[in-house]
Amino acid sequence: MDASFMTVLVQAVAAQPEEVAATAIQGTDLIKAGALIGAGICMGFGAIGPGIGEGFAAGKACEAIGRSPENAGLLTRTMLIGQAVSESTGIYSLVVALVILFGVVLGG
Amino acid sequence: MEVLTPEVWVEIGRYVGAGLALGFGGIGAAIGMGMAAAAANEGTMRQPVAQGHLMRTMLIGQAVGGSPSIFALVVGLLIFYMPVSPEEIGLPKAAALAGAGLAIGIGCLGSGVGCGWPAAAACGGVARNPKRSTGIMSLMIIGQAMAQSPSIFATVISLILLFRPVSAVGMAGVGVAIGAGIAMGAGALGPGIGSGTTAGGALRGVSNWPRSQGITLRTMLIGQAVSQTPAIFGLLVAFIMMFALADLEPTIVNFAKTIGAGIAVGLGGVGPGIGSGLAGETACLASATRPRLDALVLRTMLIGQAVSQSTAIYALIVALILIYLV
Repeated sequence: MDASFMTVLVQAVAAQPEEVAATAIQGTDLIKAGALIGAGICMGFGAIGPGIGEGFAAGKACEAIGRSPENAGLLTRTMLIGQAVSESTGIYSLVVALVILFGVVLGG
Repeated sequence: MEVLTPEVWVEIGRYVGAGLALGFGGIGAAIGMGMAAAAANEGTMRQPVAQGHLMRTMLIGQAVGGSPSIFALVVGLLIFYMPVSPEEIGLPKAAALAGAGLAIGIGCLGSGVGCGWPAAAACGGVARNPKRSTGIMSLMIIGQAMAQSPSIFATVISLILLFRPVSAVGMAGVGVAIGAGIAMGAGALGPGIGSGTTAGGALRGVSNWPRSQGITLRTMLIGQAVSQTPAIFGLLVAFIMMFALADLEPTIVNFAKTIGAGIAVGLGGVGPGIGSGLAGETACLASATRPRLDALVLRTMLIGQAVSQSTAIYALIVALILIYLV
């Protein structure tokens, strides 16, 4: 019921009086469209957290190196390990977005 | 459904666009100006002697920090009153009006908040050391100007959306306009905030250690430049959508792919922009405290920021796949 309502709404929005009547929208098109927006939302929101989190780690590393420069190597290593872990959710988002996208591309 | 004629759609686009531009565009500058006023009040309470300097610093900081909201006001009024030629009336033009509002509104939010940190830190510094108010104020203006560049990108994109005739037709035109608006608007949000936090850190550092002003200025400018990469990705994707996708088929799939690309690159830039700014903030403080360690701090900051930018690059890749491969 929801899908048919969406179809009616989308056809009404897509109708352009001065052009040819909008071609009928099929269910597969709607699924594809949903998948593409989903991939965008997945990567977009998924990138927010890791970006902020890695910035925190980098900031603290700068602060610590400013205080004890002799431990710079150790601090940089710790920062990179922490950032790599924080990056993992970003990579999950990337993987999910790519799975969705290539599913759409290859599935036709 | 005969109610929704093309003329009605354009009117809806006008109202939505102007509302988005002025509603969101005012949030950031108001918060930023409030931060500056709070810091100036606190400073006056501690050092009543410095109140003349503090008032001047606060007013200049607020005037510079208020300019993103003025961009939003100008573009919002343009969206509301701009004449639309009869052959352009239709859904794509309505979407272009709404998309311009989205770009300028959300794009100016980040820069408005961002300009608040340097202004607040400058008021704190002037309260502590009123004699140095000129040097502090010049650093504040440089930091605020850098923090405003994302809002200038957003202004450019919204003006192009408003004045360039819409080339893509039907659903594709709607997707391109809204997608470009989200890509630029949300893409400018993080970098605006991030550049502001970096400038705030630099001003706090210079207020306490005035002698390292030169080195801190360098760290601040490099940190701000890196934190603005996501805004440049957003600008790039918005340009690609507006200029390279003119002959898209007006299908629902093309609508979805342009919106999806805009969401990916726009929201994907929020985190890296803020994160790089946080790294820049402490790096500026560290290089002000210990100017001799400048090279080491700069290296650590750049490595950290590069890692933090990686998610913005993933978002750019996903957006480009959406635009070109699907």
